[in-house]
Amino acid sequence: MRNNFLGWMIALGVILGGSATAGTFGKVVAIGGSASDLALDEPRGVLYIANYTANRVEVMSLANLTVQTSINVASQPSGLALSPDGRYLVVTHYGNFVAPASPNNGLTVIDLTTNGKQTFVLGNPPLGVAFGLDNKALVVTSQEFILFDPITGTTQVLDTVAGVTAKTLPQPPATFPLTILGASMSTSQDGLVIYGLTDTLRFRYYVNTKTLQSVGYTASPPLGPRVVTVSADGSSWAGGWALFSSGGSLVGQFPNALGALNIGSLAMDNKRGLMYAQVPEAGSATTSAAPVLQIVDSDNLTVREKIQLSENLAGKSVIASDANTMYSISDSGVTVFPIGSLDQAHRVVASQEDVIFRGNFCDRRVASQQITIVNPGGGRTAFTLSTTTAGVTISPSSGITPATVRISVDPTAFQNQKGTVAALINVKSAQAVNLPTQIRVLINNREPDQRGTFFDIPGKLVDILPDPSRDRFYVLRQDKNQVLVFDGTNFSQVATLRTGNTPTQMAITFDKRYLLVGADNSQLLYVYDLETLQSLQPVAMPGGHYPRSVASSAKAILVANRVSGSVHTIDRVDLGTRQATQLPTLGVFANDVDQNTNLVASPNGSSIMAASANGNLWLYNANADTFTVSRKDGTSLSGAYAASSFDQFVVGGTLYNSSLVSVAKFDASTGTTSGFAFIDGSAIRTNAPDPASPGNIQRVDLTTATGIRTTRFAEAPLTGVTGFVFTRTLAPLYSRNSIVSLSVSGFTVLPWTYDDSVAPPRIDRVVSSADLAQGVAPGGLVTIVGANLSPVNAASREIPLPTALADSCLTVNGLPVPIVFVSPKQINAQLPFEAVGNVTLIVRTPGGVSDNFNLVILPTAPRVFLSGNAGDVDNLPTLVRNTNNLLVTDTNPVHRGDVVTIYLTGMGTVTPAAPAGQPAPTDPLATAIVQPDVTLGGVHLPLYFAGLSPGQVGVYQIDVSIPANTPTGLTIPLTINQGGQATTINIRVVN
Amino acid sequence: MKLTGILALGACLAAVPAAFAQKWEVGGAVGGGFYTSQAVSSPAGSADATFKTGLSGSAWVGNTTSSHWGGEVRYDFQVGAMKLSGNGAEATFGAQTHQIHYDFLWHAGSSEARVRPFLAAGAGIKVYRGTGTETLTQPISRVALLTKTQDVRPMISIGGGLKFRVSERVDFRLQIHDYLTPFPKDVIAPAAGASVGGWIHDIVPSFGLSFLF
Repeated sequence: MRNNFLGWMIALGVILGGSATAGTFGKVVAIGGSASDLALDEPRGVLYIANYTANRVEVMSLANLTVQTSINVASQPSGLALSPDGRYLVVTHYGNFVAPASPNNGLTVIDLTTNGKQTFVLGNPPLGVAFGLDNKALVVTSQEFILFDPITGTTQVLDTVAGVTAKTLPQPPATFPLTILGASMSTSQDGLVIYGLTDTLRFRYYVNTKTLQSVGYTASPPLGPRVVTVSADGSSWAGGWALFSSGGSLVGQFPNALGALNIGSLAMDNKRGLMYAQVPEAGSATTSAAPVLQIVDSDNLTVREKIQLSENLAGKSVIASDANTMYSISDSGVTVFPIGSLDQAHRVVASQEDVIFRGNFCDRRVASQQITIVNPGGGRTAFTLSTTTAGVTISPSSGITPATVRISVDPTAFQNQKGTVAALINVKSAQAVNLPTQIRVLINNREPDQRGTFFDIPGKLVDILPDPSRDRFYVLRQDKNQVLVFDGTNFSQVATLRTGNTPTQMAITFDKRYLLVGADNSQLLYVYDLETLQSLQPVAMPGGHYPRSVASSAKAILVANRVSGSVHTIDRVDLGTRQATQLPTLGVFANDVDQNTNLVASPNGSSIMAASANGNLWLYNANADTFTVSRKDGTSLSGAYAASSFDQFVVGGTLYNSSLVSVAKFDASTGTTSGFAFIDGSAIRTNAPDPASPGNIQRVDLTTATGIRTTRFAEAPLTGVTGFVFTRTLAPLYSRNSIVSLSVSGFTVLPWTYDDSVAPPRIDRVVSSADLAQGVAPGGLVTIVGANLSPVNAASREIPLPTALADSCLTVNGLPVPIVFVSPKQINAQLPFEAVGNVTLIVRTPGGVSDNFNLVILPTAPRVFLSGNAGDVDNLPTLVRNTNNLLVTDTNPVHRGDVVTIYLTGMGTVTPAAPAGQPAPTDPLATAIVQPDVTLGGVHLPLYFAGLSPGQVGVYQIDVSIPANTPTGLTIPLTINQGGQATTINIRVVN
Repeated sequence: MKLTGILALGACLAAVPAAFAQKWEVGGAVGGGFYTSQAVSSPAGSADATFKTGLSGSAWVGNTTSSHWGGEVRYDFQVGAMKLSGNGAEATFGAQTHQIHYDFLWHAGSSEARVRPFLAAGAGIKVYRGTGTETLTQPISRVALLTKTQDVRPMISIGGGLKFRVSERVDFRLQIHDYLTPFPKDVIAPAAGASVGGWIHDIVPSFGLSFLF
């Protein structure tokens, strides 16, 4: 208990210490020198720190984080390792001095039980040391691998080392231990595998078998920070900016790494499946940006959170066995991170990544939405919000977590931008240790002619692929390393697949069984079973090959790679062996492609086209099983790309024939090409003049390359960016019901016949959504029945409800009406609370404006929802027994003494007032102004509450109890009478 | 009627023969109950409604007023789920019954005989209680509904058995009773449009011990 209390106090102290430096995490412990290695001795409650320049081993107390003693050792202690039995601390000395000084390379064994020390001279400078489970230390020098037994002081040379050049001393000023050593070693948690890394050598040592495996490597930039961390079982390890499998495959890497050996650190948190990493990006060393610790998934390096550091880390990190504390070498000595208590540090995050405003031609009012700013740990943290986008206001713009913030958008500020404007809100906090992500505010101001329903999918979306035999489609989210799987009927996400780091493109194998995903920061091609949506064993690419693009023909699966080096290649994949092989040539042409090359296969499997940003085009012919065409008719290519089953290909705005000769140019006036899809013998293409424009879609006459019926989009389709100039954004779905396009907010869905002429809408009647009976009231959910009310079926997934959905909107006396659902024959919506009496209802669609529909809205019109179902019985009234929280049915009847909740709509205005389209408040509850009288079998039921159901939109609830004198029977009438309007349902009551 | 009320009624019944008591007897028995079924018919089909076989327990207080006649107040408890079966489906729902009744007993042979056959007949009330977990649906719910509620029905009891004299103060009994009640339509409720009628028999063989004083 005392130890636990002490531990918490230390954690609290460290957090507060971090807070004292304002917005940084961890406590710095200065050692008056340069730390080169760490060893954690938890039983003794100390951390050993090799002070390379001060010739001592600092002993830091874990209890109070101060250096309480120091052990003077021979000069230049460079490496530390503690034997698994805790008895011996082995210190290596890298003293590779040259004349006139004398070298003093060596090794010291400290018996921690007696404090006895013994120093041995080494002939070569030691680069690192690590203990295995057998209590023997593996020492790597510039010339050999040595196994050292601290008990006997004997050494055994396991192997020699080739190609390692040890730096000599003295070094220029401001050179750091890791830069001098250029090596690091680490042991798996089970003590059975030791991994190591030098400038030119990667090695692993199996303790049980005393087997050493080493391989030379080259890396550009160098694998920095020069730190090795190993998973608990040794199945994966990270060194510098790279994450490796035990077999040596590069599973993932931190993008755009600086490669400095002495800046940063890595540590795998095996308990949480995370890795803490400071891996500076190129260019960051020359900026004044504060150092950042990334918390990433340890399997694919997906960034979860970024934490600000007070100073750069500078070498090894070790994590305590309870995974609550991490100790890292840093510029001053050591920084201690209470990683298990991160929730107690100040942090700030927004409750949602995107806030979407769907303006429309029915609704030009200032719109507002609320978001919540919280500290994930639940604490109170001050923050500020700001945006530079005019027309977007934030209130309040500062506060303390948890806080509700209202974001308002004035549509008039965006009236000239008919697509979606993506405004950014910056979240800042002087207290918070994390780097909050920006909030994206999506503002759409569409016109009636703009087609499509857009869905908000946060993140960076880079590819879309329709499933050729299932009614679903796949979207690649690059920033989270995910494939998002969507249902093609209702466009809901049905699965999430994890990919390698920075996924770039997808392909489906010709047998339609597997999804392949390439990535820009992984040397694995990920494979998924499309039936089970499970990840399978990935394909290992050749060393240095990053599979950025993949395509599958009937004969071969090809991958276009970015390759470490000057020549980028196309490889062939053997899915059976999960291996890829670089093609020696591309037919008669050299296998030398631009790193920005995208592949696409014709649907019939006959060919694969490769398009390179430098203007090269290639064609692989499946029958010949070789590349048959290579052309370069320009200096650059970009934009949409596609291949047909009729030997036609498209890149950008050009149509090519089977010899990849340009045969036609498409209309370039419609903007940058985004997507292109061949459909049977015709095609569709999308373009966008700029991201805030509507963009457009047109059918294409392939014989003349002319666009047909250019139609404006609800928002712009995505276009390429530097480094990723090719775009695939169009997915005609297998069911041929819809076409999906990646767009600014996520994706936009159009009906297959999006450009058909549309008849004007017609309203036939308006009824309560609860029971489809006449009689509606303000704030109630209503169903508008008619014809041509919407071109597609669509249900709103957003709260507050939008006032336009799938190109349809409606007004009552000019007031926009929040919409729940639209279909050609029906719209479900919530009447505004202001609408009462004789009103006029109008529906607007791309087909035009409906005739006025005159309607009487009663002050109250209670109607119980008949939407319950039980087994094969439908249309049950929605009464719920509080006893078991189940719907009242004949087999779950109401009992005398029960409390029952009745869900209904049409109870009219409430107090406090609740705006239409918004979820009902929870505190205070919104109570119906006109209270109902509820009887059951003629017996008045005591009323607990009658008003809006908290959190629901347009749904009311009445809570009543059932008295003991209530009559029993199979069909006892329950009558709700409110303001002279009554509704009756029959329910079963038993004793 | 609440169970406590039923027990109070039983106590009153027990008090009647006490005025004539010459020899008293207190006993208990265990056994099993076997129900007959009734057909429930509706436009949606028909089903057999009954209770599954279950364990029973009895306790009685009795007296003998002559060498051949006697009487006893009995309380019986039985556990056995309600059961509906028909159209290839079956529904069950936990249930238990409580019954209290007065039986007149006629014994053959003298009171000193080691084996005394007897006949019993009487009346009382039986409480059916649905005790299962209510769910949104049940199989065959268009025909009848197995319900978590209480149903009190008048009951006729007939039966007989053998008393074996084990010692001066102890008898061993083998007995069988048939408890008849009108069909309990509250716990096995006919669905809308369905009907069920008649009586349901609960035949309970049991054995037990009596203590005489």
